[in-house]
Order: sequence, then C-alpha cells, then structure tokens
Amino acid sequence: MERAPVRAPLIKNMEFKVGLLLVLTMILAAGFLFYALFARGAFERTQRLILVTENAEGVEAGMSMTYAGFPVGQVKRMNLTEQGQVRIEMAIPVKDAKWLRETSVFTLEKSLVGGAKIRAFSTNLKDPELQDSAERPLYTGDAAAEIPEILAKVKAILANVNDMTKGDSSINQSLANVKAVTERMTGEYGVIGGVLGAPENARKVVQAIDHTNSLLTSLNGVSLKADGMLGKTDQRVFGQGGVMDEAQKSVVQINAILGDVRESLKKADAILANGQAISADVKEATTDIATLRTEVDDSLTKVNHLINEINRKWPFSRDVEVKLP
Amino acid sequence: MPGMDPIIDALTRRGAAQLAWLRGWRGFGRFAAVAIVESLTPATYNSATRSVVQKQIYFTAWQILPTFTLFSAVLSFVLIQIVVDAARNYGFAQHALEASVRILVLEILPLLTALFVGLRSGAAINTEVALMVVHNEMKALADSGVDPMRFEFIPRVIGGVISVLALTAVASALALVLAYIAVYGFQVWSLSEFNRVMGNIFDIPAIALLWAKVLAFGLAVTVIPISEGLAAPPAKLFFVPISVLRGMVRLFFVLMLVEVISLVLKYI
Repeated sequence: MERAPVRAPLIKNMEFKVGLLLVLTMILAAGFLFYALFARGAFERTQRLILVTENAEGVEAGMSMTYAGFPVGQVKRMNLTEQGQVRIEMAIPVKDAKWLRETSVFTLEKSLVGGAKIRAFSTNLKDPELQDSAERPLYTGDAAAEIPEILAKVKAILANVNDMTKGDSSINQSLANVKAVTERMTGEYGVIGGVLGAPENARKVVQAIDHTNSLLTSLNGVSLKADGMLGKTDQRVFGQGGVMDEAQKSVVQINAILGDVRESLKKADAILANGQAISADVKEATTDIATLRTEVDDSLTKVNHLINEINRKWPFSRDVEVKLP
Repeated sequence: MPGMDPIIDALTRRGAAQLAWLRGWRGFGRFAAVAIVESLTPATYNSATRSVVQKQIYFTAWQILPTFTLFSAVLSFVLIQIVVDAARNYGFAQHALEASVRILVLEILPLLTALFVGLRSGAAINTEVALMVVHNEMKALADSGVDPMRFEFIPRVIGGVISVLALTAVASALALVLAYIAVYGFQVWSLSEFNRVMGNIFDIPAIALLWAKVLAFGLAVTVIPISEGLAAPPAKLFFVPISVLRGMVRLFFVLMLVEVISLVLKYI
C-alpha cells in the first residue's frame, strides 16, 4: 500500500531523489535523441553521388556503400527515371570522400544469402577526387543470375569429360599405346626395346654395340703394339749403341781419315812447288806440272768442303771437335 | 413459455456480462481521456498534486531502481550474448549488434519496464482505489471539497508515466553500453562503427514510435488499475480481489495490444 501520509516521515530527501531521477531521465531522453541524430550523420557535411543502374533490386534507403569493407556513404533516396533507369542518390561524408576518385568503379553485388551490397573500388588513389553530385554507373554483379550460365558451361565440360572417358576415346587409346610401350620397356631390351618397337631390332642394336666393343678392344691391342715398336725404334736409333751412335762414331773416323788425306795432299803440294821451282826452264814440262798442281789443289778444296758439310749436317756431334791442323 | 426460461436467463446473463465488460472499457476510455487532458493542463500542477506526483515517482521508480537496473542489466547481457553467438554461428556477425539492440531497446526493455511497474505499483493502486470506493471514501473526499480525480488519481497517472519513462531510459542506456561491450569488448576504437549501426536503427520515426510506445505503457499501468478500481461497487469488500484480477488482466491485454500496434506500425 502506498499511502503517503503513513510513510512520509520515513522518506529522507524524497524531493531531491525524485528531482535527480527526473533530470537523469530528461538527460537520457534528450541525449538519446541528440546521439541518434549524430549517429545518423545529421551534423556531418556530406556530398552527393548519383549511381545509375538498370536494376536496383535489394537496394534500400539507409544502406551503406563500402570501400575496402568500410562504410563510406549511405543511400539517401532512389527513383526511377523516365528512361527506366534507377537513380540512387548517395550521401558521402566529406571526410570519406577522399576514397572515391574520378576512376572509381561502383558495383552492386547480390549474394545468394544476405542482402545486396554496394561497393566502391578505387584502383589509383592519386587520380583526381570525385566531384560533388557526380554521376556514375553502378555495375551489377548478381551471383544468382550467373547460375544458369555456369550450369550450361558445366554441362559442356561434363560432356567433354564423358567423351574423354569413353572406351574408344583418344585418351584411352593413347593410354593403351603408352601401356604397350612401357610393357616393352620392362622387357628384355628395356627402353631400347620400347623405342624400336620389336625385340629383333633391339637385339641387332645390341649386337652392333657388342661388335663395336670387340673392335675397339682389337684396336687397343694394335695401338699397344705400335707403341712398343715405336719404343724399340727409338731405342735402336737414338739409344746407347744405336744406329745414330754408330753413325756418329763413323763420321768421327771419316773426319780423322780426311784430316790425314789433307796432310798428305799438303805434303804433295809442297813437293810439287819444289818441283816447279827446279824445272822452271823446261816450259812444257812445267806447264803439265802446273796443271797437275791445280788439280790437286782442287781436290784438297773439295775434301775440305766435304768435311765442313758433314759437320754441319750432324749437329748433335758438335761436341766432337774436328781438329784441323 | 415455461421451457424457454433457462435460455432467456442465460442470454440475459450473457448480455449483462457483455455490457459490464463494455462498461469497463468505456470507463477506462473515459478515464484515460480525462487523465491525458488533465495532465496536459497546467492548472493541474499545484503544490498538493506535486507532492502526490513526487511520492508516486519515489515509490514507483526510485525504490525499485537498483533492483530493476541490476535485473535489466543481467537480462540484457544474457540476451545480447545469445543473439551475438547465434549471429556468429550463422555467419551474420555484422548484424549481431543491430539485432540485439533492436530486440532489447525497441521491444523488450519498454515492455519489461511496463510489466514490472504494472505488476508492482499497478496492482497496489488498483487495490487502493477499489478499497476507497468500497469504503465510500470517494464521497467523503468530494464532500470535504477535494476532487479525488484531480488530487488523487491524475497525479498518480503523471507519476506512473514519468516512472516508466525513467526506468526505460536507464535500462535502455545500460543495454546500449552492454551491447557495445559484448560485441566489441572493452575498447573505444569501434565507436564510429557502433554509431553507424545505431544511426541505422534509430531514425526519427523509430525514436518517435519508441517514445509514443513508452508513454502509452506509462499511461496503461496507472490508468487501467485506477479505472478498474473505480468500477468496484460500493460496500462490497469481497469485490476488491476481483477488481484487482480484472485490472491486471486488462493491463496485460492493453500492454500487448500497444506492443503489437507498435510492431505493426514499424514493420508493415
């Protein structure tokens, strides 16, 4: 029972408490109204953007437009023009207008589940900013509208797959060929058998290789023999007591003999000179002797020349000095 | 005709009950109209009525403020969590905040406040008025020059309306804070996102409808018990419980009617 006179003395500061509650209520009510206006952007400067599209199904006033998932504007109102196009008027807060550029693209996306979404895409944020009251097309991307088309494509693909997997399809035949080739590859002649097709062909190749191998072995023996022969020749010609050694010795001996011959001829020359002096008067005799002497001199020169020639031709015997008198 | 008497009796009783029911509604309608007109008349507010209004607000709102605030906070938080979890499970996380605020602030909290006040103060007022009528106090008051309508009932209606407004405001403000915390956690960086969602929910028609609804609730929780109490027959003490019973049923019916009308106005 709330009969005031009974309880009145028990209530302390009733007026203050009631006043407090009243003020609190008024503050909350007024504050709520102010907050709602603020939250709705009533105190925010906005600019207009007109989006034109053929079909605005799913779009409603108050809907947000997003850029990169963040709301950058709201649908203010929509109307149908005389040309049957939908004009959607957006309010873009001036502080968010920087995300929309002259080159921005606007899309309306309808998903299978959930409402439609208006999205803005700005690829280049260096482009000039979108002007106030600009008019842009709104491209529609309807996931549900594409389903029949996708189904048609899927059907075509499935038909192709069906063709491919049939018993007489090219793929199956190719696979059968591959199988035959790989079977041969696993046979006696391996990959060669697979490539050449028949085992006989492969056997011939293997035989040819075998022959080549034996030929190479023989060649190796031949070259070894040739090698030994060359070594022996070397030994015989240029080795200690070899042909060259003996030839060198012979030449030395020839040199010694020729030296003796020169000695003899010099003596003969001296005798002839004396004979010339003795028989100077006897003209005819002396003429014959002079001829003889010329001939001897000539021989001596030739022998000398021969010795020099031999020495030049056997350079390795340089150390063997031909001692001339 | 001897055989027709029981049928005539039944029809008479049925007709009388129907008329009484209609009279009850007519009494309620008439009282509601008078109450609204009187509460909008500046002359109603003098020191005597102000005192009654203060007491009514004190008993109806201030006394239950801590309990009611705690209760509504717990209920709000639980409901928000349920809505947010369900929305996340079904992949509608971005709508969780909007859904929970719509459910709580626009629908449940005003109705809850009205039911709370109606069941507590409404029942008390109904009993008091019915007893006054039964004990013929109304006549005594009128004889001593006090207009009971003006000095007893209208101030209670005003106090009741203000109380429902105050309690709804406190509970709703708390629910908004709790919704922010439940969805975004203890941080302030999502305020702009929160503001955007709130801006979507609370457009001017929605706010006007909410206020009108809360006013209607406030009127209902005091006007119905008073008019029902006034309808009690004098000198019949046994009729007091029946009067309270009828008043509560009628109050519940009217609250639901107001809620349904508000939903119809909003969504159709």
